[in-house]
Amino acid sequence: MDLGDIRSRIETLKKIAEELRSMSDELPALQRNTIRILAGIKMLELNFSEPADL
Amino acid sequence: MISEQKYWNPILETLPREKIRKLQLEKFKRIFSWAYEHSRFHRALYEKAGVKPEDIRSLEDVRRLPTVEKSMMRGIQRKDPFPYGDALCVPLDEVSEFRQTSGTTGQPVYQPDTWQDWEWWAECWSYILWAQGYRPRDRVFLPFGYNVFVAFWAGHYAAEKIGAEVVPGGVLDTQARILKIQELRCTAMMATPTYVLGMAETARSRMGIDPRSLSIRKITCAGEPGANIPATKKRMEDAWGAKVYDHAGATEIGAWGFECEAQPGGLHVNEPFFLVEIQDMKTGEYIEEPGRRGKMIITAFDRIAQPCVRFDSKDVIEWAPNPCPCGRTSPLIKGGVVGRADDITKVKGVLLAPSAIEEVVRGIEGLGDEFEVIVDKQGDVDRITLKVEILSGREGDRKAIETQLKDQLRLKTNLGYLLEFHPYGELPRYDVKAKRFKDLRPKY
Repeated sequence: MDLGDIRSRIETLKKIAEELRSMSDELPALQRNTIRILAGIKMLELNFSEPADL
Repeated sequence: MISEQKYWNPILETLPREKIRKLQLEKFKRIFSWAYEHSRFHRALYEKAGVKPEDIRSLEDVRRLPTVEKSMMRGIQRKDPFPYGDALCVPLDEVSEFRQTSGTTGQPVYQPDTWQDWEWWAECWSYILWAQGYRPRDRVFLPFGYNVFVAFWAGHYAAEKIGAEVVPGGVLDTQARILKIQELRCTAMMATPTYVLGMAETARSRMGIDPRSLSIRKITCAGEPGANIPATKKRMEDAWGAKVYDHAGATEIGAWGFECEAQPGGLHVNEPFFLVEIQDMKTGEYIEEPGRRGKMIITAFDRIAQPCVRFDSKDVIEWAPNPCPCGRTSPLIKGGVVGRADDITKVKGVLLAPSAIEEVVRGIEGLGDEFEVIVDKQGDVDRITLKVEILSGREGDRKAIETQLKDQLRLKTNLGYLLEFHPYGELPRYDVKAKRFKDLRPKY
């Protein structure tokens, strides 16, 4: 299990989700769904990205 | 296969202690900065104490922050941004969940959560459920009201998150819930200890159903002491033929403590998510070693709408001396939450925790689950009365039961009681949370 690899993929996921969110001002379905996705990504960060930094 | 994995997240659950402490410090600094920058209430508190985020360089420095009491939260709410007031750290339109405390200790405190906070609740509960053996194959029944109290809401979402199937038993009455469990062959359930015992009694006495014949094999309890009191746990396990697990959490804090499948006689603190400190109730000294009880001061690292930073929970706990055989590196709280600092009272000059009485009563065969304790004054002297129920068919054993009860009460609480024996079914029954201890002495 490569925690560094998991972390970098989470970062990629987050970047894409944030990009989508920035495009969502006129698309409620895009905005609300990407907010939820980002909340899930935060849980991935708490679980995997943070211990990878230790 | 995923279901065969022992831990929800082995990386955090078996993290070496020195790395947990390093993680906790980083996360504490982060939530302190967040509260300092975004909460008018916290900012004023910390400015008055002369503490700034850059002052925190070690976990010992954490103690420089003043603690937060529930009563302080009451005074800052019910105003703009309405209704959360001064401790809200996000724009109001980011709040997606409203919950409130039960109000047993005073006016309810409102608790806002963002969607991220709600995911966090479910994440914390996922650690709990996985540790208690819940798996995607489980069908989980939730017999609670789904209302403004946080109760088992996060348990519901966590059961979904881990891949189990959820059966919401909200509006159904107790008999309908039992029939639904039977109909769907539910394998697990979450409820307060009072309700777990109450359901069993209803099944047996009103429906002719032995709860052990139902398919429930795991029960998670929360909301009140009980699953951490060995005699009460045994009664629940015997009634249902199931393993019963304790959980500790609170609306204002989150789901911070849980019993695992090893049932080690204590609760794991979910340390990557919470910082637990134990403070001596008399001296204010911080307790690091096992064997001394104190009150819990707790911080939730990742809750952002209304942060919980050094919250004085009034829960009385102590560290356990040994690690858990389950392999989790988070420390155990011995015996779980053994009482509340505001429940522990002096009777005839002796400190008394109501949970000690519960342990005695429920440890005696021949007595029913329900009991009542009344403390009042006879002239200037404290008087304590314990009302119990003799089970049907055991009336002939009354003298022996009375002797055993007196002896055990003296041993465990160091007090003598006026004892009243009632026929089974006569004492009040409680629906969800019980109020069995009544202190009628005038408060000066």
